[in-house]
Amino acid sequence: MNALISLSVLGIVAMLSEIFNFKKFLYSLILLGLVAAIGVNVMEWGQFQLWYGMMIVDEFTLAFSGVILLTGFLWFLLVADNHQDKAHISDHFAISLFAMAGAIVMVSYNNLSMLFLGIEIVSISMYIMASTQKNDLGSNEAGFKYFLMGAFATGFILFGTALLYGATATFDIQKIGVFVTEHNSELPAIFYAGLILIMVGMAFKISAVPFHWWAPDVYTGSPTLITAFMATIVKTAAFAAFLRLFITCFSGVELFWNQTIMIMAGATILLGNITALLQNDFKRILAFSSVAHAGYMLLAVLAMNNQSGGSLLFYLLAYSISSLSAFAVLLAVANLKGNTNVQSFKGLAKKNPFLAFVVIVAMLSLAGIPPTAGFFAKYYIFTAAIANNYVGLTLVAITGSIVSIFYYFRIVIVMFEGDESTEVTVGSNTKALLVICSVLVILLGLMPDFLIGLLK
Amino acid sequence: MNQVLTAAPLSHYVLLSSILFSIGVLGVLFRRNAIIIFMCIELMLNAVNLLLAAFSVHHSDPSGQVFVFFIMAVAAAEVAVGLAILIMIYRNTGSINIETLSNIRH
Amino acid sequence: MTQYFFYFLSFLAIFFAALVVLSKNPVHSVLYLILCFFSIAGHYILLNAQFLAAVHIIVYAGAIMVLFLFVLMLMNLNRDSEPPKSWQGKVAATLAAGLLLLVFTASIKGADALPSGNQPDNTVGLLTNLGKTLYNDFMLPFEVSSILFLVAMVGAVMIGKREEVSE
Repeated sequence: MNALISLSVLGIVAMLSEIFNFKKFLYSLILLGLVAAIGVNVMEWGQFQLWYGMMIVDEFTLAFSGVILLTGFLWFLLVADNHQDKAHISDHFAISLFAMAGAIVMVSYNNLSMLFLGIEIVSISMYIMASTQKNDLGSNEAGFKYFLMGAFATGFILFGTALLYGATATFDIQKIGVFVTEHNSELPAIFYAGLILIMVGMAFKISAVPFHWWAPDVYTGSPTLITAFMATIVKTAAFAAFLRLFITCFSGVELFWNQTIMIMAGATILLGNITALLQNDFKRILAFSSVAHAGYMLLAVLAMNNQSGGSLLFYLLAYSISSLSAFAVLLAVANLKGNTNVQSFKGLAKKNPFLAFVVIVAMLSLAGIPPTAGFFAKYYIFTAAIANNYVGLTLVAITGSIVSIFYYFRIVIVMFEGDESTEVTVGSNTKALLVICSVLVILLGLMPDFLIGLLK
Repeated sequence: MNQVLTAAPLSHYVLLSSILFSIGVLGVLFRRNAIIIFMCIELMLNAVNLLLAAFSVHHSDPSGQVFVFFIMAVAAAEVAVGLAILIMIYRNTGSINIETLSNIRH
Repeated sequence: MTQYFFYFLSFLAIFFAALVVLSKNPVHSVLYLILCFFSIAGHYILLNAQFLAAVHIIVYAGAIMVLFLFVLMLMNLNRDSEPPKSWQGKVAATLAAGLLLLVFTASIKGADALPSGNQPDNTVGLLTNLGKTLYNDFMLPFEVSSILFLVAMVGAVMIGKREEVSE
């Protein structure tokens, strides 16, 4: 709740800065505000509150809000060097802060109306952010595609919500959960129809196969800075919402949906990784790898045990910080070379050993190789899934991660080829971001027990 | 039959909403004019609203109708943003046919 | 009596909805959609949800559809300019929508026997009840929706505005 309030206030401050002429200090103000929000969020740890029956503040909420706030802070560090549209900067800041507020709503909802509003706040902000480069046709297309798919998926989620309401007479997810356990054998048919529709709608939002095809295009077309936001913060919020919904409402009817999600997860992992192999554009590789990672994270939802929350938290944090540092280097290289092709990374290791090191750490983590955070993220998710007897699916997932090594390492190999490269310069904020991300990735890889112990 | 639903049994409302929703989905998949696709999405949302209102009356619970207000509010916001994006695209390309918008593939 | 109204309005709603999808001229589609919304408003009145009906007419027919019409006129698209879709696409779209409808029809079995959540009460759709629920139970979503409006407002202006400073 406090995180939500501070983010909304920060967003309003960002809008006011245009009127009262303090745009110069706005950026530092936002960074300070985000640090304060993280602090407030940490202070709340251990409390349990229910706000009007609409928002729940428990350890799950606080942990995922923490991930969102931390990723948001790191993302804002990236903004300093890469923001091109100086005229609208305060509007952009306001919208991204409001999007984060929406993400907080998505991880802390206790009522389907809050889930709906959270999804819509995040989605509408992202439609706008994706199409901010008005003269670039790719950005226009990305914004529009995202908009149509998002609105279509929202229609499915809403129809599902309406059917659930018809079956249970409430929007409160805990009451729905109670209803499901009490009427387990005699649930009306419209309840199952509602479940299917919500599942389809949420699968659109998390870009799981076969509802993933919008994601690579949108991720590629949007400005890279916004892609980084979508691939990290939006994904975190969507997965936390997905897990909370299924654990609270639908755990009683697990047998009805687990086969579907299992097939979805397997297909997402295989398709995402194999298509990523065929790409030559680093941004597009990251887009497909983000689809593939959605498949791994579905394993945590399938696990449905006390390890689900913790392993998903770990995975999302590891994935977000690794992706952010990859995106940061991509932005620096793309600013210099003018394209996001893999070949533009040629010779990076000679001239920029620091950047090359950062990319190697990020790629190791995304591929899931020790001693990085990504390895333990996959390890925990797989053990959680195996604990619920998904051995076959876990084998598929392991195959997928072996495939993923090929395309992640392609970039590392390209970096050590050739030496005609000019030096890539990065600003101090980006440098700070890269250092923080790499240190965190390695630290989490060396000491994973702390984070995984947070949520039981 | 429940005496609060006087006009028709609940299942008929569910069927009506389902038909409207399916027509909306059909329109989204069938047409290529972006504005018509967008209108079909509005039709889908209206099917949801009707269903929520029917369930709300059936359960004698006002929260269903309050949810309809939220859907209307969000639909209005979404339309504003969506049409702004459409106008921007039209300015750049002179067309709103979604087939002309498939250039991203590399 | 009201039963006949229900079936008549349902027929109108479905008929106009189908015309929205099938008509070639976008402006006709908008007008059919407005008629469809009016028949849905009639359903709300039959459901004894008068306030909802009024808001529905004001928001959808009055604001949203006028916006659509305005944009269509602005783009001067009031004629058939849409290239025909391939027949495979059409068949696939019809199949998908038909399948969806089939799932729904299969699921309405037993919908009439659904237990009611509360005591039967004919006044739920009245403004007093709705207001009490909105500002008590749904206070927080109401506040949160203000963030949504801020985002939409800023975003629509930012995107819709033509850039004066040319680069």
